[in-house]
Amino acid sequence: MKVCFLVNDLQLSGGVGVVVEHARRLAHDHGFDTSLVLVREWDLPSWRYEALAEVRVLSLQEARAERFDVAVATWWETTFSLFDVPAERYAYFVQSLEDRFYKHDQPERVGAALTLDLPVAFITEARWIQRTLNELRPGAPVHLVRNGIDKGVFGPPQRLEPVVDPARPLRVLVEGHPGVWFKGVPAAVVSVRAMREPHHLTIVTGWPEELGELAGAADRVMSQLTHREMAAAYAETDVVVKLSHVEGMYGPPLEGFHMGATTVTTEVTGHDEYVRHGWNGLVVDWDDVRGTARALDLLARDRRYLNFLRHNALATARGWPSWEQAAQFMALALLRVRRAPAPAADAGAAALLSDLRGGLETYREHLAERNDFARQVERIERVKRIGPVRRVRAVWRSPAVQRTVGPYVLRAAKRALGR
Amino acid sequence: MPDWQERITRETNPAVRVEHDLRYRLAEPLILGARTWADLGCGNGVAAADVVAGGFDGRAVLVDVEQSAVDAAGAELRTGDAVPIVADLTDRDALARVREAVLEGEAPRAITCFEVIEHLTTFVPLVELLSELAEAGEATVVLSVPNDEFWAIENPFHQSAWGEGSFAELRTLLPPGSVVARQLALQGSAVVPDGANGAHVDVRVEPRTEGAVATHFLAAVGPQAVELRTHVDVAQSDLDGQRQWERQREADLAHLEALHRHIDKLQGQNDGFRSELRANHKEFEDWRRYIHELEGKLGLPLSGT
Repeated sequence: MKVCFLVNDLQLSGGVGVVVEHARRLAHDHGFDTSLVLVREWDLPSWRYEALAEVRVLSLQEARAERFDVAVATWWETTFSLFDVPAERYAYFVQSLEDRFYKHDQPERVGAALTLDLPVAFITEARWIQRTLNELRPGAPVHLVRNGIDKGVFGPPQRLEPVVDPARPLRVLVEGHPGVWFKGVPAAVVSVRAMREPHHLTIVTGWPEELGELAGAADRVMSQLTHREMAAAYAETDVVVKLSHVEGMYGPPLEGFHMGATTVTTEVTGHDEYVRHGWNGLVVDWDDVRGTARALDLLARDRRYLNFLRHNALATARGWPSWEQAAQFMALALLRVRRAPAPAADAGAAALLSDLRGGLETYREHLAERNDFARQVERIERVKRIGPVRRVRAVWRSPAVQRTVGPYVLRAAKRALGR
Repeated sequence: MPDWQERITRETNPAVRVEHDLRYRLAEPLILGARTWADLGCGNGVAAADVVAGGFDGRAVLVDVEQSAVDAAGAELRTGDAVPIVADLTDRDALARVREAVLEGEAPRAITCFEVIEHLTTFVPLVELLSELAEAGEATVVLSVPNDEFWAIENPFHQSAWGEGSFAELRTLLPPGSVVARQLALQGSAVVPDGANGAHVDVRVEPRTEGAVATHFLAAVGPQAVELRTHVDVAQSDLDGQRQWERQREADLAHLEALHRHIDKLQGQNDGFRSELRANHKEFEDWRRYIHELEGKLGLPLSGT
């Protein structure tokens, strides 16, 4: 079985890590001839995965010269190159509904959504994505392959050491990219800072320079951790706080579960794969700093409850599949994709056109709005170009005026505008 | 109390046996209606025998990894044409032999594969074979997996973790038209007036799946998969037998734990002896060096060399 996974890059990220792990296991455990195809050329040094020894890494040009049993897109932009790679079957490994990574007025949002209408077989890692794809594309094959956990690294302890010392601060861990809006790292840090009970905050991020003043709230900031170091950090943690707005099937709380930590999380997509409120973690509302802080305070005060959640989190972890098992499902999914007939070329065409039309409507609305704003700006600019106005503005900008009458004028203007 | 067994035997916990028997009862119409039946991971054939012993006169392909198990199953089932196969179900060549043996038999064909997948180091070749046979209409397959995930059970005989999530994964990989079922635990009791010994009683049960935790998950695929029906089996509890079983287990466990402690103690003594020996060895070395020095100074030949 000759399979290739199309990736944008091999930089360190959760999504790429999942693809690399599958690729490696398919080659090592199941004898697949597995390749990673880089659809872009990169000058940056790639993250060095131990795994890559058994997996070929090809450029798109090299992949075009071969023929695969199944070619798999792994990120919406990689679908642009999917059909350039000669293959008997095409599949799309959907790790999230990626249109949600973009704001409403970003063109990528429509582009990412449209890729779900392609005539391919789908493989996904979360049941909520599976359900959504079944609704979006009735009749299209959708195979579920959940992400595994490296039990060798995140090996659950046989026994959980209960936290009984009431004087010991609650150990909280926040993980993620502070600059990515949907990861909710600033909200998590602010919530921990709003706690009343004693706590010890660890922030783990690959981008510490983007923390800014948030770093001041942390007792320690850790960066560039290996998986083993990450596991050790979780083992020292009572609670993993994760307040994401968008996720496919997030790993950090689950990795925390494996090392005996519970979680306080938002009701983000994918959380229901393993988090049960009041059983192995606490689910809080979005943008509720005070509520999140009170949930953390509760765990800091009520050690019995904390230990109950941690105990059940560990039990949940024990039932979670290993990477070996996950790769077996991936192997079966790919074999099934290969055996099944290829989807008809027009499969999804109606959905594609409908989504395209929807996207055009949205784009038209945004464009009309922008044109309207542009016209208003142009009118203001015309007024600003009138001689006396131009001179008044030049005077207004002078430091002397700003220092003396400026504040009074601004206050009077605000009063006049009723603000 | 741990209850890890790789095989169902006459000594197995009665509640576990009822569960296992019921799975064969579920497949009974498929088995008895088939001309060829393959039982993958047949074990000793105890559970299947309770349902089909002497009643199946077709070709029975009995597959297990151990010769003794296959032989025992053949004796228990008393079928006319038994084809025993010792096979590792993770091995593609072995599976090819199983496939051949199944397809050599007449249709209709039924394959049962209960509580097997979780024991395999890789279930890929087996699931692939079962899917292929079912999809081609060659056989109807009924399989089951346990809900270990719910109890966070770490059974030393289980190579993979199964539960709601894993079964959801498996479902998406089975051929279209598969029928799935959940096995639920029941509890009950009976009041029997004197003189009513052995009276036949019909028990009305309406098992509900919403919100219920399954003990096992089952799937049927293939041409006759739709024949899967609700089955309930109620067995009178043999409390005396149950108590004996549990006490025996507890006693065995206590015995093993005591043995472990004894081994640990012996190990400790052994470590002590080793350490003493090492210290003595070092001391002797020092003496030897000292004596050799003296012998050197006196011009005598070195002793012990």
